Amino acid sequence: MGDYINIGRSVRKIDALSLATGADKFTDDYEIHDPLYIAILYSPVAHAEIKQIDVSAAEKVRGVVDVLYYGNVQRVLHTTAGQGYPEPSPYDALLFDRRVRFVGDRVALAAAETREAAIEAVKKIEVKYRDLEPLFDMEKAMDESAPRIHVDDEYTKIPAEYRPEQNLAAEIKIGFGDLERGFNEADFIEEQSYRMHYASHCAIEPHTSCAYFDDRGRLVIVTATQVPFHVRRIVSTVLDIPVMMIRVIKPRIGGGFGGKQEVILEPLVALVAWRNKRPAKVVMSRKEVFISSRTRHPMRVRLKTGVKRDGRISAIEMDCLMNTGAYGTHALTVLANAGGKVLPLFNKIENLKFHGRSVYTNLPVGGAYRGYGATQGYFAFNQHMDIIARRTDQDITDFFKRWHIREGETSAVFKALGEGKEGVSQVINSCKLDECIDRGAGAIGWHGKRGKRIESGRNRVKGMGMAIAMQGSGIPGIDMAAASMKMNDDGSFNLYVGATDIGTGSDTILAQIAAEVLKIPVEMIIVLSSDTDLTPFDTGAYASSTTYISGGAVEKCAEDIKNQLLDTASVMLKAEKDSLKLDAGKVIDKKTGKKVPYDKIAYHTLYIQDQFQIQAQASCTASESPPPFIAQFAEVDVDRSTGKAEVVKFVSAVDCGQPVNPVLAEGQVEGAVVNGLSYALCEDYIFNSKGRMVNPRFWDYKIYTAADIPEIITIVVNSFEKSGPFGVKSVGEIGINGPAPAVANAIFDAVGVRMYETPMTPEKVWKRMKEEGVN
Amino acid sequence: MVRTYRPQSFQEALEIKKGAPVITIAGGTDLMVKRRRSTGLSPYFEVPAMFIAHLGEIKGVRFDGGNIRIGAACSFAVLLQNEATPPILKTAVSRIASPAVRNMGTIGGNICNASPAGDTLPVLYARDASVVLKSIDQERILKISEFITAPGETVLREDELLKEIVIPEKPFDVNFYRKVGTGMTNTISKITFTGIAEILNGMVKDIRITFGAVAPTVVRSRVNEERLIGHSGKEIEKMIPEISSLYSALINPIDDQRSNAFYRRSVSLRLLGHFLRALPGC
Ligand SMILES: Cc1cc2nc3c(=O)[nH]c(=O)nc-3n(C[C@H](O)[C@H](O)[C@H](O)COP(=O)(O)OP(=O)(O)OC[C@H]3O[C@@H](n4cnc5c(N)ncnc54)[C@H](O)[C@@H]3O)c2cc1C
Repeated sequence: MGDYINIGRSVRKIDALSLATGADKFTDDYEIHDPLYIAILYSPVAHAEIKQIDVSAAEKVRGVVDVLYYGNVQRVLHTTAGQGYPEPSPYDALLFDRRVRFVGDRVALAAAETREAAIEAVKKIEVKYRDLEPLFDMEKAMDESAPRIHVDDEYTKIPAEYRPEQNLAAEIKIGFGDLERGFNEADFIEEQSYRMHYASHCAIEPHTSCAYFDDRGRLVIVTATQVPFHVRRIVSTVLDIPVMMIRVIKPRIGGGFGGKQEVILEPLVALVAWRNKRPAKVVMSRKEVFISSRTRHPMRVRLKTGVKRDGRISAIEMDCLMNTGAYGTHALTVLANAGGKVLPLFNKIENLKFHGRSVYTNLPVGGAYRGYGATQGYFAFNQHMDIIARRTDQDITDFFKRWHIREGETSAVFKALGEGKEGVSQVINSCKLDECIDRGAGAIGWHGKRGKRIESGRNRVKGMGMAIAMQGSGIPGIDMAAASMKMNDDGSFNLYVGATDIGTGSDTILAQIAAEVLKIPVEMIIVLSSDTDLTPFDTGAYASSTTYISGGAVEKCAEDIKNQLLDTASVMLKAEKDSLKLDAGKVIDKKTGKKVPYDKIAYHTLYIQDQFQIQAQASCTASESPPPFIAQFAEVDVDRSTGKAEVVKFVSAVDCGQPVNPVLAEGQVEGAVVNGLSYALCEDYIFNSKGRMVNPRFWDYKIYTAADIPEIITIVVNSFEKSGPFGVKSVGEIGINGPAPAVANAIFDAVGVRMYETPMTPEKVWKRMKEEGVN
Repeated sequence: MVRTYRPQSFQEALEIKKGAPVITIAGGTDLMVKRRRSTGLSPYFEVPAMFIAHLGEIKGVRFDGGNIRIGAACSFAVLLQNEATPPILKTAVSRIASPAVRNMGTIGGNICNASPAGDTLPVLYARDASVVLKSIDQERILKISEFITAPGETVLREDELLKEIVIPEKPFDVNFYRKVGTGMTNTISKITFTGIAEILNGMVKDIRITFGAVAPTVVRSRVNEERLIGHSGKEIEKMIPEISSLYSALINPIDDQRSNAFYRRSVSLRLLGHFLRALPGC
């Protein structure tokens, strides 16, 4: 580890001031000239065939320019999942179809001179539906008698288990050892099912896109996305417009969390613009985001373990059933992660089986969501381990420390479970989980409070729970990022990255990495990111990949620049290259002490001798995905008179390698904790018997507000990951895995009831307390 | 475009009311939500709107010969700051909405909106509050329980405005209020429970019990309350099962997106039990 001037320092986010003053632009802030406004008609029924659609009244509404539906839009099967190509998600979606598969499925759109006219027009589209039997229960999706949801020519681009005739969107089976024998050797079997529910990402900026033409007739799409390059590719494919005719710009983003890894609106604005040769714009309402964008996949995880008296697990079987909703976006890969990011953590289990199925239903569509299946898997895993630790009379912190994976160790699961294809085997280079557990336990006062059922007010009792988790850093063998840099006259540098800052601060930390290599302050780096015309490629902001993989590209690129600086300086200083070093914006000859500042070097190369521009580009992929680790602790007061579980303190201790910017790293963990607590305790999709979400608004879909947030402590435990630039690993997703199971374990500690299902609302805790007779 | 009126006095407001149909806007925190439209469009008003929240005459809280008078346009924030506001009302108001909404929302709006989940209502019922209704031609004073007839419905006439709320001044020794909602802020009540009691020589001299959000309007029963009067805490503790079943017959909660009937009923009765058990001498 070096003596860093930028790495490990909490420099200010480079867009902090412009965001705070409102100068920086989000998609809706772009003033595009005279756009057509788009309004979308959504299916009011869960499963139906459109018998007849009459758009004539809509077309007559004043100001309406275009009305689109299956009758006048090309039929191109695709997936909206913005993933590496070929996408592992099935090609099962159309822009508009004759069949609607959930309440919120797209039926038609109207484009008009004003928003009012567009909204008015979609109301006037007359649709006659022939109702089909809906399928809401994922457990019944594969029954012979279940209605079939995809009946046409849907297919997968990759070799994968896909049987739409059985409503099966994905299936994975892996295993090793001898399960039977493992269970036979056990002193007892512990088997339980755990359920996690639908959730919305609740990015405060809703999905928003606009499109216009540049002076040469190319289509420019400005959009709130996590995946600008995938947007360009998917729009090109779906609309049959050459990639070279499309430019995608990602401005500032008001939160993604996976929800904007989906290419939902971009083809629509592009289509309206392209057909009408006019700019177009669409902004989703919150209701549309809830009912029609993407969600966290609900999952039922059944864990069966054979356990020896000392707590050793002789066999584990994990059986996951995931509801992917009406379309199979991320159906395979989220499912894979439920096992792939969870099971390696206990790598000493010799007999293991993982079986996962993703099934279609006539409910909202799942998608990428921070944690990406690991969250669902860890809800089950951490509660299950709490049960086992209690049954074998151990403190769960000791139990975890005894069994978790360590530096120098591997797990066969890494290889067996990849994302869409086989994984890669890897050895853990860095793991400070023990330290995370110890420091987290210390910070929350674990040993003084756990199991004590301390009364914390009238009818309130305290419980303590904890959870551990790992995640990954990018997708090995699939994710790719590139960066380029050039030097300016004054010794500043432009840094161009495809990487997508969605509010996370990636522009800042990538600048820090470049500035570290070049030994200059971050202010000397001018970052431009995520513009498919101007910046190099990047798969996008997902899979916790940016710091590790995009950061890797930036480091390589800056190293190349450094090399050129040294070459030029050695000519200018008439010195051996080996005796030169970079220091505070200068190249110094260690022998003579002579130095030349960067601006002089730039001037020299641009104007004086052997003229050229110092510039470089680099690409980066990963051959492994080093996991960050986390230990999370919840102190929860349960109100016995209302069943309300109130988190009073939450501690996370995370090993994310070398944090590039500790404040931003903590911010990611804090954000994930709030996100995770809110999901665990109050957020809920409530459906009526017809599959319609009845609470698609923040009024009734409750997310945590400032007043709900407990005291949050985040401890960053430094480690060094040798495969990452400057020792980094990821931190964006991992923090969401612990809140739900830690709270569930704390509720058990307080009142002795197991919460097998989220959200753990007062109603559910109350019901469980009644069931168990503790109230 | 919406036509708007901004009267200079309460009297002028009443004249405008008399003249033509207008929608009265106090804080607008219910109205603007009810009339909202799609993203990017402004709320829709089919008739002109009249603002009243700036009218000083209906914004104060004061003691007045044995009563506390609260102006209808008094905001929640002002209620919280004023020392004439009964403490139990302050407790209830402090759990309403969030600071921003408490700066705008008014007690008059809460009453006229007549939501089953209006959080000032159970306290006002418990404290025997009355409402003063004014039109150009007359003034009426009604008990709040007579004013509100059903969810969203009141006996307010087309030409009337709510002027003020009158609460008899009376000290209560026990003040118990609980709101159960999903979050800490901006949360609509699943249940509220209000219990207040006056104790003399270890005996209950007066007692009031109300439940909010578990029936179309606030639940209160003087008959049930009278059964408790004259008893000691010890005696009341024994009466809890009986009293609970009396109230269970009165409350009529529903299943909705915020909670379910089972929870609402059983937790309401649980809170009733806590209150009764907390009476001095128990
Ligand atoms: C985010 C949010 C959270 C909320 N949380 C809560 C909560 O926790 N608890 C709760 O009880 N409420 C809550 N509310 C609802 C609302 O804030 C209250 O009901 C508030 O008291 C309404 O007052 P207002 O002045 O804003 O009413 P307005 O919206 O101005 O008016 C409401 C109704 O009353 C009528 N009206 C108002 N004043 C008079 C008058 N003087 N004479 C005749 N008619 C009149 C109006 O015409 C209208 O019909 C919340 C609202 C929001 C937006």
